[in-house]
Amino acid sequence: MTRYQSKMSPGMRFAQALAALSLVLLLGACERPEIHRDRFIAFGTLVELNVYTADRELAARASESVRTDLEYMHRAWHAWEPGPMGRTNELLATGLPFSANPSVLPLILDARRLSEASEGLFNPAMGALFALWGFQSDEPRGPPPDPEQIRTILEQAPSMADIEIDGIRMRSRNPAVRLDLGAYAKGYGIHQAMEHLREMGVENAILNAGGDLRAIGRPGNRPWRIGVRAPDGQGVQAAIETRGDEAIFTSGDYERYYLHEGKRYHHILDPRSGQPARGTHSVTVIHHNAAEADVASTALFIAGPGDWPGIAARLGVDKVMLIDDDGIAHLTPAMEKRVKFEGTPPEIRITPLP
Amino acid sequence: MMTRADAFVILLATLLVVGSYAWLWTPSTPATQVRVVAGDREIARLPLDQPRQLEVSGPAGITVVEIRDGAARCAASPGSQGICQQAGWLRRAGDMAVSLPNRVIIEVLGDEWAFDSVNY
Repeated sequence: MTRYQSKMSPGMRFAQALAALSLVLLLGACERPEIHRDRFIAFGTLVELNVYTADRELAARASESVRTDLEYMHRAWHAWEPGPMGRTNELLATGLPFSANPSVLPLILDARRLSEASEGLFNPAMGALFALWGFQSDEPRGPPPDPEQIRTILEQAPSMADIEIDGIRMRSRNPAVRLDLGAYAKGYGIHQAMEHLREMGVENAILNAGGDLRAIGRPGNRPWRIGVRAPDGQGVQAAIETRGDEAIFTSGDYERYYLHEGKRYHHILDPRSGQPARGTHSVTVIHHNAAEADVASTALFIAGPGDWPGIAARLGVDKVMLIDDDGIAHLTPAMEKRVKFEGTPPEIRITPLP
Repeated sequence: MMTRADAFVILLATLLVVGSYAWLWTPSTPATQVRVVAGDREIARLPLDQPRQLEVSGPAGITVVEIRDGAARCAASPGSQGICQQAGWLRRAGDMAVSLPNRVIIEVLGDEWAFDSVNY
């Protein structure tokens, strides 16, 4: 074995070390990429944007772009306010054919496909049920609706299959169809707003709207670190590191609810019973498409601890964590590889998809 | 043979590693500042070590921000469910209280967060 013999004197070596050190310090003084974080209210919820860049000005423009895009989409897609979606609902109720508004047509087509894949558990045509429960308002309050009124909507059975679409012409065969794309539009909106950021030159970012997010790239040489909040609201239950372009969506019974005579009524309604879905606390999904992740988290919540694996397979999502009412975490094998529990882990059941 | 300069370089490298560890790795740091956003605008950024009370007006009324003992909280807000107040005292960097009806965000900031973003 040969040993490296330096011909340099100690003085020269010292000078070299000093030069190397000054180079390091000099590089450090350049504008370094960092995470620029902004929080604001848009899309009717709290929005947080993290952009990792050395370009401070780009980060500011990114915030402005997200805010404007989300506010615009929120107005266009709001089921209960005047606007393209509100008008579409009025026209669907007439039963007559009409030309669909281009800002809502792609959403309706995609939502129809996903509604079918979820075996109707995601049923955005049942907007009337959502309104009946009062969950469309900013501050939902009880009391729960009269069972007779719920039964009426269930008997009318509005579904996405009732909407005939031929090119841009559209009509509803069922006057009870009332579209509320709440469980889809936020995902689609996050997807679109992030696409816009990419076109602006943003490569590494997290866009989080009301707790649901899409992440792209990474902040330097580590992945983005996402904390998944515990369903009881007490801190972070699990950590997920994102890989490339991924969306993480959670539907929970703690997000929107009211109490009436000591009973809790949450906003994730089962279209089969017309009641808040029971048996599930929360469902978290990691998926490459934010709109599909949004639909999947809702549909799997409604499917419940027994039936979720079949629906997940039909929707094409393979990374799922469902926390049931007993606090047991049901995970797909692919999800188990991605989740690190913080503190005392819950009881875990690994459930492969069919 | 290790010379003095070698020893110096090793010492320097060690210091650099230890120093950068302390500098970069700070899990869940206590917050030092509170940032208050009303609507589209940041209206205040205040240190947490000086007690004070701040009234923020929004579309639904007045949200009261209280700062005391290195923490901030939403002391009062017009929302009917008290969601803003339920967030309690905010002391860890990244903690926040939000009033959606009044479009007010109260968040406390530090140097580093344990997570880049939180999913719920």
